[in-house]
Amino acid sequence: MNYLLTTLTKKQEVDSMIRDTIDKVLVLCFGRASDSIFLQLDEILYKSVREVSKFATVALVDIDSDDVQVYIKYFDITLIPSTVFFFNAHHMKMDCGSADHTKWVGTFLRKQDFVDVVEAIYRGAMKGKLIVTCPLPPDRIPKFQLLYKDV
Amino acid sequence: MPIQNPNPNKKKKKHSNQDDDEDDTVQGKQRTQFEFCKACRLNHNQGRRHIYFPNHKKALSSFLSRFQSKLKNDVAFYLKKPMPLRPEHAALNRLWCVFCDFDILESDSSFACSGNAIAHLASAEHLKGVKSFLWKYGGGMDRMDSFRISESDFTKWEKKCKLLKSEAAGGGSHGSLIGPLNDIHNESKSEYVNSFDKNKLDCLTSDVKCSNSVVPLQDHTIERSQISHSKICTVGPQILHAGTGVGLGARTPNGLPGFFGNQHYTHSVPKEGPAYSCPNDGKVYSYEGIAIGDRHSQGTSSEESRLQTQENGGGNVHSGAPPPWFSAAEKIQLDNKLNQGLGDLVSSLGEQMKTSKLNPKRVGAAWAERRKIELELEKRGELVRHDFGADWLPNFGRVWQSGSRKDSRKEFLGENKTWRKVDSQIEKPSQFQPYISKRMRTDNTAE
Repeated sequence: MNYLLTTLTKKQEVDSMIRDTIDKVLVLCFGRASDSIFLQLDEILYKSVREVSKFATVALVDIDSDDVQVYIKYFDITLIPSTVFFFNAHHMKMDCGSADHTKWVGTFLRKQDFVDVVEAIYRGAMKGKLIVTCPLPPDRIPKFQLLYKDV
Repeated sequence: MPIQNPNPNKKKKKHSNQDDDEDDTVQGKQRTQFEFCKACRLNHNQGRRHIYFPNHKKALSSFLSRFQSKLKNDVAFYLKKPMPLRPEHAALNRLWCVFCDFDILESDSSFACSGNAIAHLASAEHLKGVKSFLWKYGGGMDRMDSFRISESDFTKWEKKCKLLKSEAAGGGSHGSLIGPLNDIHNESKSEYVNSFDKNKLDCLTSDVKCSNSVVPLQDHTIERSQISHSKICTVGPQILHAGTGVGLGARTPNGLPGFFGNQHYTHSVPKEGPAYSCPNDGKVYSYEGIAIGDRHSQGTSSEESRLQTQENGGGNVHSGAPPPWFSAAEKIQLDNKLNQGLGDLVSSLGEQMKTSKLNPKRVGAAWAERRKIELELEKRGELVRHDFGADWLPNFGRVWQSGSRKDSRKEFLGENKTWRKVDSQIEKPSQFQPYISKRMRTDNTAE
């Protein structure tokens, strides 16, 4: 799909992505290309990737590929699209008011929202914080129901 | 216009017109009128809060240090060695007192340059001004004394001035205070009067007088620097022969082909003391002498200045030689070219500097540093890229786990193994699982 950003399909690609992004936020979006919300997310990412390029890298991961299933399990990705943030190979958590701090579920309403989120992550990471609070007001955060474990 | 609400915590004002400047510091709101901060040079409506802001503190420190350096250079020098003031030079010698906000002119001061300034700095009004300034701008009240002249210093200075005056009046053979140079040794000094004026102008206006620090403008003021050499440095400026025409190239025993005739000076005046006044040049060129004197008090660059004089000793405006700053300018041009060449190097260094200043406490800093080195080595081809193994997992805090992140990974791996075992039993009898040593794991995902 040439209207998507760089999509990773192999675990090794994901690994190298995580390991080679140094001192920049790595935004990994897990999703399926056939999903409209994922495509909307991709649209927003595509528009902002250049603006955040100095402090962030963005990549998409196709969850249908077999190789990355281990990651899907590891990251507990159940709802798509899900976005996980990394900094220097460390996972960054963000408290958005939802139950799951480990990832961002859903798309962003605006390009600026995405930039704000990435900026908040970057600032927290530069200060040495592994968890940051979301700068967006709650009405702009997509809500979701967290599926319970073993369900 | 901000509305001022009556605040019960407000202090009672003495004058009603001060209400405009009062602010609700208790409530921390910006209810004040705009006022001008002299240090930051901006209008703000933050009232008393403004002086605690870091920007203001920075601006204030530079502001005060500038004034202090002016004081140190000019006034302190003349405090120690009062020189008589020539009316023509007086117009250039003015000091703007930042605390009292007025210009101190030397129009009718009979004493040395900055006689009026010294008098002002010692006065009570100035003290008041300093106090109110420091209070208003938060400079620290303990620094008051560095901005004024104490009574004792002032009286000392006055005494010196009186002494000087009496000396000048009394000592006939020592030349007159005012009047042309009657220096039998130096005939063509009159030629150099004008150039000296210029030099003095530069000197005074550029505030280069300083007895402690190295003179930055050696190239600029070749004529003056020529005189400055260490041997004279201990003696006061009034002893200096400023205006003696040195273009003659008369050489001093100490080998200085001085532009000015310091020769006499070096010969006959080894001792210091403001009481001693040089026989020939009179006080006309005391200013030039002062300028020179400033130089010589440092004495560090005397050797260079000597060399320079040898180079430029003969030339001056009247002989049509290029001005000394011309050659200096060429040097500067050369330097610029060199700098441009080095620009790239510098910029790359700058980048390196930038990255090295990244917060060491940032997330994954240690890992990042290690990884950078690894990448660097890989680039150079020294280190063969070793795959971290298919089972490498990043540091991840899982959703439903309640331990550290390492635990989460272990947990996951444990789950994985069982899952895989199940799979493997179904698929293959033995599945190859690469063994990842703890070290490799911890290396890659340092927590």
